[in-house]
Amino acid sequence: MEYIGHGGKPLVERVTADKSEAKKKIEGLTKMPASRQMATEVIGIAYGFFSPIEGFMTKADVDATCKKMELADGTVWSIPIVFDISDKEIADYGIKEGGSVLLTYDGNPMAIFDVEEIYTYDKEEIAEKVYGTKEDKHPGVKRTYAYKEKFLGGKITLVNEPKIRDPYKPYFLTPRQHREKFKEKNWIKIVAHQTRNVPHSGHEWLMKHAYIAAHGDSPVEQMESMGKAISGVLVNCIVGEKRAGDYIDEAIVLTQDELRKSKYFRDDIHMVTMTFWDMRYAGPREAVHHSIIRTNLGLTHHMFGRDHAGVGTYYHSYQAHHLLMSIPKEKLSITPIYVLEWAYCPHCGEVTCIGLCGHWDELQKFSGTKIRSIIMDEVKPTRLIFRPEVFDVVMDSAKKYGFGSPFVTQEYLEKAKPAFSIEPL
Amino acid sequence: MAETYPINIWINEERFKALEDAGLARLLKEELAGMKVLIVPCTAAQRDKILKLFPTAKYDEATTKSIELLPKAVKDQIYNLVVQRKSLEVMDEFIKQQKG
Repeated sequence: MEYIGHGGKPLVERVTADKSEAKKKIEGLTKMPASRQMATEVIGIAYGFFSPIEGFMTKADVDATCKKMELADGTVWSIPIVFDISDKEIADYGIKEGGSVLLTYDGNPMAIFDVEEIYTYDKEEIAEKVYGTKEDKHPGVKRTYAYKEKFLGGKITLVNEPKIRDPYKPYFLTPRQHREKFKEKNWIKIVAHQTRNVPHSGHEWLMKHAYIAAHGDSPVEQMESMGKAISGVLVNCIVGEKRAGDYIDEAIVLTQDELRKSKYFRDDIHMVTMTFWDMRYAGPREAVHHSIIRTNLGLTHHMFGRDHAGVGTYYHSYQAHHLLMSIPKEKLSITPIYVLEWAYCPHCGEVTCIGLCGHWDELQKFSGTKIRSIIMDEVKPTRLIFRPEVFDVVMDSAKKYGFGSPFVTQEYLEKAKPAFSIEPL
Repeated sequence: MAETYPINIWINEERFKALEDAGLARLLKEELAGMKVLIVPCTAAQRDKILKLFPTAKYDEATTKSIELLPKAVKDQIYNLVVQRKSLEVMDEFIKQQKG
């Protein structure tokens, strides 16, 4: 069945699943190793997470993305997807426009790259237009400046599918598989919760708020009957490049799922999956990119909270909302749900939306950093703030996967097994 | 009052008992549905020295306006100094100890 993705275009799937066919296709191609960053993008492109993009961007697409926040054909697009390469590599691997190379990862064949264009692009221009700053302390800008001197544009075909390791394996679904799963669940309205966090109650209430908003005009009977939900919350965890101090990805995925397992959400209403993507922390532009990915997963709604995909003080709290509001509805086929923060009010004795509660002077706001600080102090938070079952999974993940810490440490960066690998074909 | 850049030390039952025994429970603030926190003030100069000594820590300018992500062992040392000196003004001594 053909599915429609972002921009009203067919969902891209550039995967040769048949191994003998793949072996024939790669015969005689020059092998070129792909970095982890590039291999991650290959997965995003080939399975259609980045539909309608079929490969790494050519200069015209990068230019339109930077200057107009769209692809050369006018489709809304906010973040360049580029393959960087040095002059030496171009010479060493004999890369030519119109030629093809075999990208390898872990020393094994991964994807065919049909090179259409070799080009340069001003990295400062990318930084300024995409991130709104040229400061290299911004992680997205730092990544941009670290790109090698040239870029290759052209289509990608995955010839060897990645092997996903545990505990991630059950959570990795391609866009097509997401859609099939939603059909199986009879979900009609599905709201995305984008996350790179272990959930505290503030996050839990954001999800509930978004669910109720998305389901608002649907019959309540389906919601009332266990197992018959027609709307769902999809927690789509971002798994990718980490920075010291982040939660480890294993803890993120497993704790998000614990909310369902411990019945803070019904089984038929809540689901956790993951997407391979290196956060760029591009704030508003990244919010648009997340909308595109979730449109491709088949979602109808996307929740956006405070400081979506931001970092430091580069973007104001609701800048992402404002950028999304400026995009004509017909250009982005997912409905944004804008949510205010939820906080603990000692007067009300509950977690409440700051837009509803009148005890402004008493509100105790959640802060991811503050919660991380509590966990680092090995103090069990109160259950109104952090579910005890979630805390136990955090600590368990620290032991099993984090070398004793639920946060990314130098040891984790050096020794943790990658979430995916490419096996021999 | 001069601006401070505090360190938040979250208090579990064990730490709470030691503070109570030292008559310091009054120094605690309640946050997030009854959690107890000891807020140790730092000047801008002390903050900068702490961030240099412990590179994993960060000053959270965007939300908490406090020094966060200090390792537990470091916070334990600061906490022990507060209990010993019965005062929150311990950061100069703590920094001196690290340099010694």
